[in-house]
Amino acid sequence: MKKVLLAVMALSLAAGPALAATVVNRDAEARTLIVTEGSDKSELTIGAGESVDFCPGGCFVTMPNGDREALTGGETIEISGGAAKIR
Amino acid sequence: MIRFARLFVLIALLLAGPAFAADPIIEQQQPVIDRLVRDVDALAARLDKEKGDDIKLVDIRNQLEEKGKALLNAAVAFRPRRDEINARLDQLGNPPKEGEPAEAEAVTAERAALKAVKAEINTLLGRAEDETLRVNRLLEQISELRRQLFANQLSKRYDLNFALLGEGASEFRAEMAELWRIVGSWWNFVLKFKLRASLLAGFFALAAAAVLVIGGRRVVGEAMRPDPVNLEPTYLSRLSVAFASTLLPSAAVATFLGASYFFFDYFNVLRGDIGELMVTSFNVIATIVFIERLARSALSVHLPAWRLIPVENGPARALYWLVLATALTAGADFILSRVNSVLGSPLTLTIAKSFVLTIAVGLMVIAISRLKPFHDEAGRPRRWPNWAQALLLAVGVVTVLSALLGYIGFARFMARQIVVTGALVATMSIGFLTASAVSEEGAFAHTLLGRRAKSRFGAEDTTLDQLGLVAGIAINLFMVLAGGPLILLQWGFQWGDIRAFALKILTGVQVGSVTISLLGILTGVAVFALALFLTRWFQRWLDGQVLARGKVDAGVRNSIRLAVGYAGTAVAGLIGVSAAGIDLSNLALVAGALSLGIGFGLQNIVSNFVSGLILLAERPFKVGDWIVAGTIQGTVKRISVRATEIETFQRQTIILPNSDLINQAVGNWTHKNKLGRIDVPIGVAYGSDAVKVQELMLAAARAEPRAAKSPEPVVFFTGFGASSLDFELRVFLTDITDQIAALNGIRLRILEAFRANGVKIPFPQSEVHYPAASRTRRRSSRPARQRNRRRGETRRQQNPGPAAEKPTLTHEKTCCRSFSWRSGRLSYIGGDKGTERFRCVHRGRWKHRSSR
Repeated sequence: MKKVLLAVMALSLAAGPALAATVVNRDAEARTLIVTEGSDKSELTIGAGESVDFCPGGCFVTMPNGDREALTGGETIEISGGAAKIR
Repeated sequence: MIRFARLFVLIALLLAGPAFAADPIIEQQQPVIDRLVRDVDALAARLDKEKGDDIKLVDIRNQLEEKGKALLNAAVAFRPRRDEINARLDQLGNPPKEGEPAEAEAVTAERAALKAVKAEINTLLGRAEDETLRVNRLLEQISELRRQLFANQLSKRYDLNFALLGEGASEFRAEMAELWRIVGSWWNFVLKFKLRASLLAGFFALAAAAVLVIGGRRVVGEAMRPDPVNLEPTYLSRLSVAFASTLLPSAAVATFLGASYFFFDYFNVLRGDIGELMVTSFNVIATIVFIERLARSALSVHLPAWRLIPVENGPARALYWLVLATALTAGADFILSRVNSVLGSPLTLTIAKSFVLTIAVGLMVIAISRLKPFHDEAGRPRRWPNWAQALLLAVGVVTVLSALLGYIGFARFMARQIVVTGALVATMSIGFLTASAVSEEGAFAHTLLGRRAKSRFGAEDTTLDQLGLVAGIAINLFMVLAGGPLILLQWGFQWGDIRAFALKILTGVQVGSVTISLLGILTGVAVFALALFLTRWFQRWLDGQVLARGKVDAGVRNSIRLAVGYAGTAVAGLIGVSAAGIDLSNLALVAGALSLGIGFGLQNIVSNFVSGLILLAERPFKVGDWIVAGTIQGTVKRISVRATEIETFQRQTIILPNSDLINQAVGNWTHKNKLGRIDVPIGVAYGSDAVKVQELMLAAARAEPRAAKSPEPVVFFTGFGASSLDFELRVFLTDITDQIAALNGIRLRILEAFRANGVKIPFPQSEVHYPAASRTRRRSSRPARQRNRRRGETRRQQNPGPAAEKPTLTHEKTCCRSFSWRSGRLSYIGGDKGTERFRCVHRGRWKHRSSR
């Protein structure tokens, strides 16, 4: 019976949606993103080496190098050299 | 040379050519974004016009949400192309700075082209972004408008007069005629043009409902109907019957109605106004059916034994009809209001109708509050508990009063809440009651699920009990998670707010600098459980399949299994912690700061832990060994990392900390093998034949089946004792754990052999001489003196002691007579130089008497 319980748990885990995008700053300095989420724009500063969860339900982001990007939530963005890569 | 350069530039331009034209992705997505922008414009215009209609606002909101999603998706579509461009730009590198050698023109051209495309993409993305921003602002505006509408509706007051009511009555007749006309014309239209489609729609809807009913009955089976013969059903079975008999028919009706609407809509049978009316009436019908089923099963009018609330028969019937009437009245108000809005009826009619119906609802609630559903100890009818009565009365009075004062909107709101929130609360309380009944000890085993788990998986009672607890928690959680938002929605909260709130709780609540995420924690726990399960499975597989087949020693097997188990648990813990989103580096900082204190505090535990690891690695003993540690002796039952369980031969379990087993000498009777020696010392009488005795003892040992043949038993003549010749038999046993049985058998056999061969086992003897005997003799009577003389002055006796000083019968008589006591006991208390002292004791009192 324990097995069934665990299997259900595992399934629910696998089925659980990714609820936020993650941004990781690999640069040695803090980087700032402009995030448009809901009805306002805000700046999100990520310290060197930090990783931040944001944007639970889709948003637009302006990267440090001026690129714009649309996120649906669940992506991982890596900032290195001011440019961002999305995985 | 110049010609060559020109040619090169031409080729480069040709190659870069396509980049100057619009990029395919831009060509593809630009119209999409344009169309979405136009749609949003149209919706914004509609919003301006239809500010006052809540239902239209909901429709606009839903469409806007869709547009927002579409905009986001349109923007995401650029990502692959943009990544491609970025990668290519990276390959091309930065343009040469001043002083650096110039690059090829083709490269410059390509870079420029790529940058142009990228800029265009960024522009389009910016447009999508702005539009999304606008959509979200419109959505917020709608939320605000709806909130205002709701507040206005509740607080608006109408001037009432009775002329208005009369006017309402005539208008009502006109409106009914109009409704009849509309429905009739639609019906004619259906009959003439859409008969086949509507029949098909009806058939599909019926089929969907039938599938649900038949399937549901197969699953739930007999649990749906109360058994009239059973006069004492358990609470849990009453609850499950109530649950099943409410849920299944309501779900079937809801499915039928939902499917009918869907297929009518799908086949274009519906017209706008009829569609609206149908949605409203279907909603109301489904709700009323649900309430009726709930009231019927909870109050069980005909079978009092199956009632969930212990009310009397009469009040149960009254309550059932009142609840049903309340639901019907409030439902009628709801449907008629929709009719009013569809037909654009005059306000007077709307108000008059709601006035009558809400007052009716309020009065019915007051009537419910006046019922006397229970009875006291003496059997007299008793009212509801005070709080329930007060609540019902207050709700009813507020509804009636607000209608009378002209707050029709508020009265309608109250009437609706009484029915819908009341039904939700009743359902939730049945859920909570079920949860607590399921979690009771032993209750889950009697449920359908429990019985199935038992028959199919062979689940034990304790497992079922734990499952019952889990099921109880799950039901409670479900009731809160499903019922809470539904009630909040009824009370004017908006779905977006609830969703945002739930998301916030799930994804992270900021407390200081720490973010607590419920979802993260749940994920962590789930991952930990999964990893632990995998570890256990691996452990079992390794132990049962690999090690057992490899004929590995039991001790090594145990060690490996334990080590794998601990390592797996640690890894599972780490994975769980990181899955929960807890940063381990923060933890390391805290651990570093506290490690000194923890080190001191947990000194013993750590020492035991390390000792446990040493025990696992060194294996001085294994499970099943018979060990002696200090004063503790017994069989090792379990070696864990902190302590070892030892079971003594009296079946007492002793938990011995591992450090004790490492720091002191531990004897192990069964370390390498179970061979061990027992010794049987024995003494025989002086005068026995020592060689014969040895032979007899050896024979007794050899006859013992547990004795080892090699090394064979030996007998030693160990010494000349005080009263015996001493021998010792030494026998090796193949299994030392059998020593008690072996000793017993050998001793019995020796005794038998000695007896058969006339070998005596002596008991200790000693000779005692005592001079005081002469005085006693002089005082004794003549025949006694003569007897003593015949025996001689010396008495040999088994227990040397002060028996010689024991007073004779004469003494006693003399003593007791002289003290004129009827009976007494005389005891000797000492004497010297011919004087002997006695004590005469009578009934606890005593007197001295010295005699010469």
